[in-house]
Amino acid sequence: MRKREGGSMMFGFGRKKKVKEQKRETTDSVVLTIERKEELLRTLSQKKEEVNQVSGEEQAKIYEEIGLVLNELGEEDHAIDSLEKSIEAKKSVGDGFKTLLKLYNKKRAEAAKVNDEESLQKYLKKMDQLMQVSKDVTRGVR
Amino acid sequence: MGVINFIIENILTQASVTIALIAMLGLILQKKSTGQVISGSLKTMLGFMVLSAGSSIIVGSLTYFGQIFTEGFQMQGIIPSIEAINGQAMNELGLGRDIALTFLAIFVFNILIARFTRWKYIFLTGQAILWMATMTTVFGYFAGLRGLALILVGGFIGGVFAVAMPAIAQPFVRKITGMDEIALGHFCTIGYVFEAGVAKLVGEKGEKKKSVEDLKLPPQLEFLQDTYLSVMVVMVPLYIITAAFAGEEFASTLSGDTNYIMFAFLQSIQFVVGVYVLLSGVRLLLAEIVPAFRGIAMRLVPNAKPALDCPVLFPYSPNAVIVGFITTTIGCVLAMFVLPVFGLAMILPGMLTAFFAGGTAGIFGNLTGGRRGAIIGGIVHGFFITLLPALLVTAFNSMGFVNATATDVDTVSAALLYAWLIGPLLKAF
Repeated sequence: MRKREGGSMMFGFGRKKKVKEQKRETTDSVVLTIERKEELLRTLSQKKEEVNQVSGEEQAKIYEEIGLVLNELGEEDHAIDSLEKSIEAKKSVGDGFKTLLKLYNKKRAEAAKVNDEESLQKYLKKMDQLMQVSKDVTRGVR
Repeated sequence: MGVINFIIENILTQASVTIALIAMLGLILQKKSTGQVISGSLKTMLGFMVLSAGSSIIVGSLTYFGQIFTEGFQMQGIIPSIEAINGQAMNELGLGRDIALTFLAIFVFNILIARFTRWKYIFLTGQAILWMATMTTVFGYFAGLRGLALILVGGFIGGVFAVAMPAIAQPFVRKITGMDEIALGHFCTIGYVFEAGVAKLVGEKGEKKKSVEDLKLPPQLEFLQDTYLSVMVVMVPLYIITAAFAGEEFASTLSGDTNYIMFAFLQSIQFVVGVYVLLSGVRLLLAEIVPAFRGIAMRLVPNAKPALDCPVLFPYSPNAVIVGFITTTIGCVLAMFVLPVFGLAMILPGMLTAFFAGGTAGIFGNLTGGRRGAIIGGIVHGFFITLLPALLVTAFNSMGFVNATATDVDTVSAALLYAWLIGPLLKAF
């Protein structure tokens, strides 16, 4: 089996893969500074006021912004709720979609670890629905 | 004893029953209620019957198409349709039971490989596993395998592909998505990596590398919005032009009292209807089985990465999907005219493959070679994914398949493995 550029083998038989995987796990948890947290909370309350005053595409955009802020604050369930509302209001495949996919996958993995079949199926189904959103948006289906 | 023999010879030989029993197993393992187990199993059986009905409709249309194409162009015209192959294999060729059991075996081997090796991927795209099960069963049968050996070899090869393809794609997927938690579960991966390689060779490098995402492309074409509309856009002109070339005299012998052009139009719609019915059957058939077995798989290997269908990558590079689709289509059309010069069949372009496989390949091409990589890589990719299925046409013809070939290149590669390696080995011993 030939070595790829960079020193690691294609199928992960190289020594470097295990070290890379450990590094990737620790960078997921980002520590929020107090200033950043306050900024996010301010944005959140402002957006929550705005969201009920608009509808359609604009509302979808604001729900997405709320969802992204909640995700950064670590409030995953509320973030999921808001991002789902955004996609329901208008299908899109921007940052909201990508964050939602990450969150669904995280929930799926947690459910699998604790053998929670119901939650596992729920999040697998939600991931299927996101695939359909991706297909629809790319093909221009409204 | 007589009762057992009756059950074995008359009930378990029925593909629809085998498939329903597989669904029943999955539902029981999920500890569903008795009502849910019975209704789920019956729905699965219904799905198989609907699939069979769809296949019959497709075969009728393809048979007509074959006749007018041969008359009009003096060669065989092949429609790339894994759905048509699957339908004929499960229904007309009677391999339904073996395909269903191989489908289950692929899941089992996927779980085993993910559990006991470092390749921790669970392939979640149920339809793709069904296509792989079809190809390994058909070509395993062609190579001379039967019964348990056919199912286990097919399951093992399918299981290896179900883990290896996401693993091969993962270095690229990591760069495309910016994360490592999700993998790609689509059996066209050999084509994607091939385009990535071509794009790296001929594409833009270093500072000169520009992404197609920086371009402003026109909005999506309307006909792509619906699967069946996409198929109709190719089939209707194809059938009508072919009938025109076949000539009124010949074509009218097939159309009865109906005008021969009108009949060609209706036959093209019939093909689309057949695909619609077949895919509805596939969805019903997989609706209980896939959730059951992927749930089990994820719980047995909780730290495995889920390998998702190709639309998972579209949001990360949407322009590349459009460029990939257009350039792959160009490559397919080129191959359509070039391959017959070398004695291979004329493979007509398939819109769904061009969009999903071509679109995804475009993302890989853009990643490694920028705009030039995506364009040249896409055209070469289109040629490649037409060439490989063309190599299987003789085998399909000899097995009794009507004017169709497979599409997804990983499944075609698995078939070529049987045709070029396993088959000759078995004959040698």
